[in-house]
Amino acid sequence: MSAQTSAPTAEAWAEAFADASNNDTEIQAHGKYFTCSYLLDATDRSYVIQVESGRVTHVTANPGPLDVAYQFAIRASADTWREFGQPVPAPMFHGIWAASFQRDMKLEGDILVLMQNLRCVTRQVELLRVVGSPV
Amino acid sequence: MSNPKISPVTGHYVTIDVDGLEYKVFYLENGTGQPLVCQHTAGCHNHQWRGLLEDEEITSDYRVIAYDLPRHGKSDPPENTEWWKEEYQLSADHYANFIIALCDALELEDPIFMGSSFGGNIALQLALRRPDRFAGVLSVEGADYSPGFYLDWWQHPHANAAQVCASGTWDLMAPQSPEADRWKTWFYYSQGSESFKGDLHFYSVDHDLRGKLGDIDGEQCPVVMMTGEYDYLTTPEDSERTANAITNGSFINMPEIGHFPMSENHPVFRTYLIQALESLQKKKASVTA
Repeated sequence: MSAQTSAPTAEAWAEAFADASNNDTEIQAHGKYFTCSYLLDATDRSYVIQVESGRVTHVTANPGPLDVAYQFAIRASADTWREFGQPVPAPMFHGIWAASFQRDMKLEGDILVLMQNLRCVTRQVELLRVVGSPV
Repeated sequence: MSNPKISPVTGHYVTIDVDGLEYKVFYLENGTGQPLVCQHTAGCHNHQWRGLLEDEEITSDYRVIAYDLPRHGKSDPPENTEWWKEEYQLSADHYANFIIALCDALELEDPIFMGSSFGGNIALQLALRRPDRFAGVLSVEGADYSPGFYLDWWQHPHANAAQVCASGTWDLMAPQSPEADRWKTWFYYSQGSESFKGDLHFYSVDHDLRGKLGDIDGEQCPVVMMTGEYDYLTTPEDSERTANAITNGSFINMPEIGHFPMSENHPVFRTYLIQALESLQKKKASVTA
């Protein structure tokens, strides 16, 4: 399986992701208390996504070692994230629970914060089906 | 008001005794013929079977009965104990005894039992324990063993348990399933957080039929298993492995559907269900012939 990235650069993907999230009606409707920061680690690229009250305030592409703090991390191989970026992902690449139980995804850090924001984080990850692969 | 759209589905309560516990059980039913007794998934309720209950092709041949397990939907916790002073941890023994007591109370003859997820697992337990009581079982999204989901997150007081249960099970559904049906299922899951974890004590801890599948009398009580390819908990490989170890067992793979097939996409599920019912009836006929 060789899915293609739709983002030519990490910076372009970061901007497209922030736009998609900030214009998403579901997150707008339910994100009043959606506040957290997390690392999306795609091995070849990484991003720190910061959200305040439902709005993505900053996406840092390929942060340096001590650049940006985050509360939890979602890590997987570049190939796994490319599958997440398909319009209709194949089985086991259709969500962070599926890929964590059955593929190489790891959920690390303060998982309680992930659980507290699970509804909207789940939606953000599904936006990859529209935005495209982060890597 | 003219032409009210009243469904043929009716609801009833029946009071039963199980292991000394008194339960007032709510069930929905529709149809005539051989009873088809339907168990919802963990932490959910009988509305998952809403499509089947109004499926005229099936209800013309089967009396579909979809109950709420105690502590779910409209079936309250036990009437005669201070249940709030104990942690709810469902066991295989009590779960199986409940279903048998319900079938006895309703005087069901030759019922087929169908359950999904933790209902698919109890289907296997019923076939093992009481092959004489059921005409057969349909184990949907079931396996001999399904560890890993007995998690504290389902009722962690520092998170929104309703949303954790609902969004934590979201990925169990296929992206191809209609969005409205997936969101109904999400909505059901937002209602059952206090029972979900206790149900999963059965699903992931107490249910373990590894090494025991050969003891199932699949001649007397045929077993048909069916699993969706987007199920990350009990994968099609898990169910197929289980079915292959059961005498007379068979497995139906369900592409483009997930762990809640009857609830996330009944129109697709029903095609596999009809196939499964036909398979079960053939197995039964070949044994009794």
